[in-house]
Formats: sequence, structure tokens, C-alpha cells
Amino acid sequence: MKLKKYLTLTRAGIIEALQFRLSFLVMVIGNLLYLIVVYFLWKAIYASAGTDVVNGMSFTDTLIYLVLATALFNFMEMYTVWEIGRNIQSGKIVLDLLKPMEYRKYLFWSYSGSFVTQFFLTFLPTFIAVAIVTHGAIPLGVNLIYFVLSVVMAVSINYSIDFLVGTICLYTESIWGINIMKQVIVLLLSGATIPIAFFPEPLKTIVHYLPFQSIYNAPLSLLLDGNPATETVLSTLGTQLIWCIIMMVISKLFWKFSLRQITVNGG
Amino acid sequence: MSAIIEIKNVSKEFKVLNRREGLKGSLKDLFSRDYKTVKAVDNISMSIQQGEIVGYLGPNGAGKSTTIKMMTGVLEPTSGEILVGGNIPYQNRTKNAQEIGVVFGQRSQLWWALPLVESFKILKDIYQIPNEKYEGILKLYRSLVDIDPLLHKPVRQMSLGQRTLSDILAAFLHDPKIVFLDEPTIGLDVAMKSRIRTLIHALNKERNTTVILTTHDMGDVDALCKRIVIIDKGKMLYDNDIDHLKSFFGSYRTLKIRIDGELKEQATLIQKELPQFSVSANDEWISVLVDEEKAKVIEVLGKLQHSYNVKDMQLEEISTEDVIKKIYEEGVQ
Amino acid sequence: MKRKGLRFYAKIYCKILAQDLKSKMSYRADFIISTIGMIFTNIAGFISFWILFRNFPSINGWGYYEMLFLYGFSLVSLTPVQCFFDNNWSLRQHVYTGDFIKYCFRPINTFFYYQSEIFDIKGLGQLAFGLITLIYSWIKIGLGFTPLMLLKMIVFLITASLIMIALQNAAAATCFWIQNSFYVLDLAYRFRDYAKYPITIFSPVFRFIFTFLMPIAFIAYYPSLVILRPDKVPLLSWLSPIIGIAFFWLSYKIWMHGAKNYSGTGS
Repeated sequence: MKLKKYLTLTRAGIIEALQFRLSFLVMVIGNLLYLIVVYFLWKAIYASAGTDVVNGMSFTDTLIYLVLATALFNFMEMYTVWEIGRNIQSGKIVLDLLKPMEYRKYLFWSYSGSFVTQFFLTFLPTFIAVAIVTHGAIPLGVNLIYFVLSVVMAVSINYSIDFLVGTICLYTESIWGINIMKQVIVLLLSGATIPIAFFPEPLKTIVHYLPFQSIYNAPLSLLLDGNPATETVLSTLGTQLIWCIIMMVISKLFWKFSLRQITVNGG
Repeated sequence: MSAIIEIKNVSKEFKVLNRREGLKGSLKDLFSRDYKTVKAVDNISMSIQQGEIVGYLGPNGAGKSTTIKMMTGVLEPTSGEILVGGNIPYQNRTKNAQEIGVVFGQRSQLWWALPLVESFKILKDIYQIPNEKYEGILKLYRSLVDIDPLLHKPVRQMSLGQRTLSDILAAFLHDPKIVFLDEPTIGLDVAMKSRIRTLIHALNKERNTTVILTTHDMGDVDALCKRIVIIDKGKMLYDNDIDHLKSFFGSYRTLKIRIDGELKEQATLIQKELPQFSVSANDEWISVLVDEEKAKVIEVLGKLQHSYNVKDMQLEEISTEDVIKKIYEEGVQ
Repeated sequence: MKRKGLRFYAKIYCKILAQDLKSKMSYRADFIISTIGMIFTNIAGFISFWILFRNFPSINGWGYYEMLFLYGFSLVSLTPVQCFFDNNWSLRQHVYTGDFIKYCFRPINTFFYYQSEIFDIKGLGQLAFGLITLIYSWIKIGLGFTPLMLLKMIVFLITASLIMIALQNAAAATCFWIQNSFYVLDLAYRFRDYAKYPITIFSPVFRFIFTFLMPIAFIAYYPSLVILRPDKVPLLSWLSPIIGIAFFWLSYKIWMHGAKNYSGTGS
């Protein structure tokens, strides 16, 4: 069966991840610390602001938004750029290209095991913790379905961007530089560090036309809106779908083009 | 003359984690782990004199690297005593390091991005080598190998052979009393192997440096070592002259003959005729392992020529490799 | 054999540094891309900061320029760890592959020898950015200037650096005992983001934790109080140089202990 060969990779990934139990402990502590810092920081910020709602977001909204953005980030971070870069430098890429699977897919499914572990070990506990701490401020209804749909597309867009940036490593040795630029741009412009609602008007408009806000801002806005208008849902998911397709096509074409370039030049 | 290296009843134990298999096993490992103790080195004693070249041999995982790490002061023995140049290595690691040089065949210890001569200059400062001594050793190097093309080349641009050569030169730079060479010729072509061996031999003669050589290449052993130490599963199997070892097995020679007919069948017939020796056959040759203490090879050959039409023959000495293989398999009686 | 004092080590460090810089110049593209990446990181950090304060004029009695001062202070104090101790990030790989052993054979201090191998020039860009921020906010707050203030500033910047170096050393050294220590190091790295907030926003329990257990508050908050709020400096601020030295020494001991215990996974 076709699916089976992908699931084997998923299983191997889970086993590999479980080898590192201390790492998990550290990760949990790290996330906990982050939650604490975010909680107190924004509490202080809202306390100083004098009003309960700023730019349409209350303290609870902001807290849920930021915490889940981080959880989503941990969930989606696949270190793809590093992986591709290292494989290229060590020459392992030649072996991977020989596998009876498209490299883009091979890499994705090799990592998919940690989607499972990350979901259960970080995302779900965080989600539950936030729901409890905020006394059920997360609306639980049809928005959850929109959220899941949105996350699936976000994962795809994020992976396409990562793969696109990783492909650049075929041209330069500077993996660190390339990766940090990507990370900084994605995190800022996707609204992962500060909700896009807080952005000044011109910046908001620019960000609206970029793919990044589809990664974090789109799923989180859908989640926080307990009673969404059909129009909003359709336009958000529609925009995501369009970006999903565009980025996938671009990343595939760029990879194909670069690979041909490299094999022709014998790099 | 007193020994430069003195090892007495040294053992080293490691704790190793038992990993369980499969998805279920990994889950179990999350919560409980069990360790077992492994004796990497088990009660080893030896004493090595200044200026010796000693071949330290054994299969992979025999405990060679562990012993060397203990001699260089990186590891502390679980029990027993080690003295290197009068120092206890792990207690005076830096002092000990001043007196030794180390080369690992696969990993360079030089600065990757720097030209060789710059690495040398940094080493000169680290080991506090006086100017005259430094110039002197460079002069010696020039007389032994053609180093000038290497000196200004960054290490990362060198071939494996050039890198190994550079690493060896760097290890001898501060005129250490002892140099440890861990598989110095691994992965090199025949010509480069021979150059490296000549260099090691010359440096040993010139500076009277003690060399401890671990290798899997019997060519290295034959070319360089008078004495070999063999270790397997942490235990010492053999420590003596290589000639002694050879003479021990040296009475054996292999006589190979080619005759007409189906060789396998003929071999059984010959075996009946020569019951005291083992006879075997492959597609080309019939081999008779002759113990010369029982009968001379010439006599055996004469006997065979009498009853068979011998078209061709070869005589093979037993090689060091065969000897060591025999020791791994059977031990020294 | 001569005693190997500070001068000996300083001389060797300068020599290696000079050579390292020379060889770095031969990787021009990597250098340029990494530098751009570093500048991006700092600009993005600044933009987030700016967006935040557009919406909220003050946090817990800390004004925009005071927060900016903290921000600049943390950037400058993080420079040494970035420049001189960047090789800590590779420690995990060196230990894992068994390559670490090669640092143990030289007749000089293993910690020094290991760290001397890499000088990360990118950190200088961060230093420039931090200094500009610091000076700008200094002027805007109208702190005035005396030589004594400058001296205090230097002493407390060094203090803050020592704390951050100590945290990173200790985090990197965990790789001697646990398999995938990347998360520990990453956690320590994320501390720097939390360092730039005043500790007064936290509840007493977490104030205690961030002061004594995970001394993040010493990276910017306590030291900068000496300049920023000279009339009410807590005792802990004055003690911080001693605490810095103690933490550094402790982390060095942990690192060396790990190196000594290191049994060499590679045979």
C-alpha cells in the first residue's frame, strides 16, 4: 500500500523522538517558562494601559493568541532548512535523491513523526492549560473545525516556504544566515510575536498581501472567533488555500530548476 | 634504561545503557533504564622502553582506543597504575600532554581553515617550542619530505594523504617523548602508505621517539614494528617480538600445486597420502599446509611429483595477518 | 616548563583570532549573508518592540526609553557570549561524533582551547546596534554623564555578560551527560529574550526564581538599575558582579567536569 511506506517513516520518527526523554522534560520546562513570561508581561502591559480592550483584543485574547502561536511554532518547526543544508554539505543528498520518493515528500514524511509527538506532548497540553487558565475563554464550537483545517494548510504553506529557503542552500554555504533571515521574517510578519491586530495601518496592509499571515494569524483568528461570519471564514480559508497552492508550485519549480542547474554544472 | 610507559594491572569499566527495541521499548525507556557494566580493558600490564615502536593490535572494539585514552590522560583507569614518563597521566593531563603527540587517522587536529604553517606557529606557542628548536625540526622535516608545497595550503584543501602527513608532522613538532598513532594509514593508497611509513620510521630513528601504533594494516606492522601487543575483548593476548611470533608459527609453510583432473577429488586422494598435513583445494590450486618440523617441503613436493604430474607450484610463507588471525581464533598456547 | 599564565593564554588567543579572521575573509559570501541575517534579527526585534510601545505607552511604570535602555543593555551584554563562546553550539556534535577527544591532547586548558577555535564576528553587528540603542535612550532619558557612570556601566555590562556566558556554558555542558542537549542550549538561548523585561512585572514567586534559580534578571535588569534608577538601587544590584563571577566559575567547573567525565563515544 502506498500510504504504508509513508507511515513507516512516521513511526521511525516517533521512536527516534522518544529516545530523548530528558529533551522532552527540558522542552516542557522551556515552554512553561515562556508561558509564565508571556502571562506576566502582558498582564503588566494591560494593567498599565488602563483599558481592557486594545485594538479589539482583550488580555485573555492576546494571551491565548500568543501562547498558541508559540505552540503552533513548535509544532510546525521542522528544521527543514538545516536538514537540507546539512544534507547538501555532507553529500548525503545524493543518497536521498536516489530514494524512490520525491525528495520534497521524503523529507516531509521523515519528519511527520514529530508532528504526532509534538501534538500530544506540547500542543495539546498547552491548549488545555490555556483553556483552564483563561476559564474557558477559548470558544469550543464549529470554530475548532475551521481551526484544524486552517492549521493543515498552515503546515503546508510553512513547509513550502521552508523548502524554498532550504533550496537556496544549493547555492550558498551560509545555512545559518539564510535560516535566521527566514525565521525572523516569518515570525514577525506572520503575527507570531505580536498579533497583527496591533500593527500600524500601513504595515497591516502590506502584511495582508503576504503569505506569512496565513501561517499563524489565520488559524488563530479563526479559533478565537466563537461566532464567525461565513464570509470571514471563507475569505480566510480561501486566501490560505490560494497561498498553499502558489507556494507549493513555486517551491517545487524552484527545486526542479535548481537541481537541474546543479547537475548540469556538476556542483 | 627505565621504561617510558609503565602499565600495571590496568582495568577500565564503562556503564552502557541497554536500549529496548521497537515502539513499545522506546516508550518503556522513557521511564526506566537499565545499565550494564562493560569491561573495556581487563587487567593489562606492559612496559615500553624509550625509542621502541610498538604495534598495538586487536579487532574493532578490543579496547585499544580505551588504553590509549588512559595513557594520554583523557580517561582515568577504574583500577591499576599507569605511569607515562614518570607522570600519572590523568592527574597531570597538561604536563603529560607536553610530552606526547597524538594522531588519529580519520580526524585532523589541525585548524581546518588555516594553512599548515600557521597551525605550526600556533602549536609552537602552545607547546612553547624555542625558536632554534622549531627551525631545527622544520629543517629535519624538509630533509625527510617535500613539505614546502604543503606549508601554505589550508588543511581543508588537502587530500587525505597530505592531511595525515601534516598531522604526523604536527604531532612530532614539539619533540615529544611518545607519539600515539591511531590507524595512520587508513584509507590511503599504496604509495602514500609507504611514504607515511618511511616518515614514521625516520622520525623514530632521528629523535628516538617512542611510537605506539594501532592499526589494522599488517603492512604497517611489518614495516615498522619490532614488538607487538595484541588485545582482544579487553584482555591481553600477546606481548613479544614480532619475530618470536613468526618463528612460533614460522615452521608452517603453504605448498600450492597445480595438477590435472578435478582438483577437489585429487585433494582427497592427496590427503589420504599425507595424513599428517591438512590439504585443501580451490579452483586453481591444491594447498598443503606443511609443518616443517615433521617433513621438509622439498620432500613433500618430491613425494607428490612421484605420483602426480605437477604442472606448477608455489610456496607461501605464513603472513603476519594469518598469524594474528590464528591468535584471535586460537590464542597462544 | 614555564608557568602558563594569563599572558600565555592571551597571546595564543590573539594568534588564533588573527588567523581565524584571515581565513573568514576567504568565505566572503557566508560572512555577508550571516551579517545581513544578524542585522535582520536586530531590526525585527526592534520593530516588535516599537509596535508594542505604539499601543502601550508604558509597562509597570517603565517608559518607552527606559525599556529601550534595558533592550540595548541586554544586546550589548550578550555580545561576548556571541563572539567568544559560539563554539558551545557545536559541542554537542563534537561529543556525539567523538571528535571532542582531539581537544584533550594539548598541554593547555581544554575549555580555553575549545572556545578559542571560533570567534563569531557577527556578534560585532549586534554590539553596534546595542550601543546605538543604549546611547540614544541614555540621551533621551537625560541621565547626564560622569566618568563614574561610565565605569559603573562597564562593570555592570561585564557582570551581565558573565551571567549569560555562565548560563550558556552550563547548558552546553549538559551534552556530556544527555544525548540531545540541543533543547537545553536552545532554552538558555531563549532566556536572552526574557532578559530585557523588568523583573517587577512578575509575581514574587517568579521574581525569586528568575533572580536565584535562573538568574535571568541579572542579564539586564539588576545591573541597569544602577544607571537607570540610581536613587533606589537594591542590594542585589551591587552584589551582581560577585554573583556574575561566581556563576561563571561554577559553569566553568561544570563544563570541565563534563569534559573530564567524557568517555568518548567514538572508538
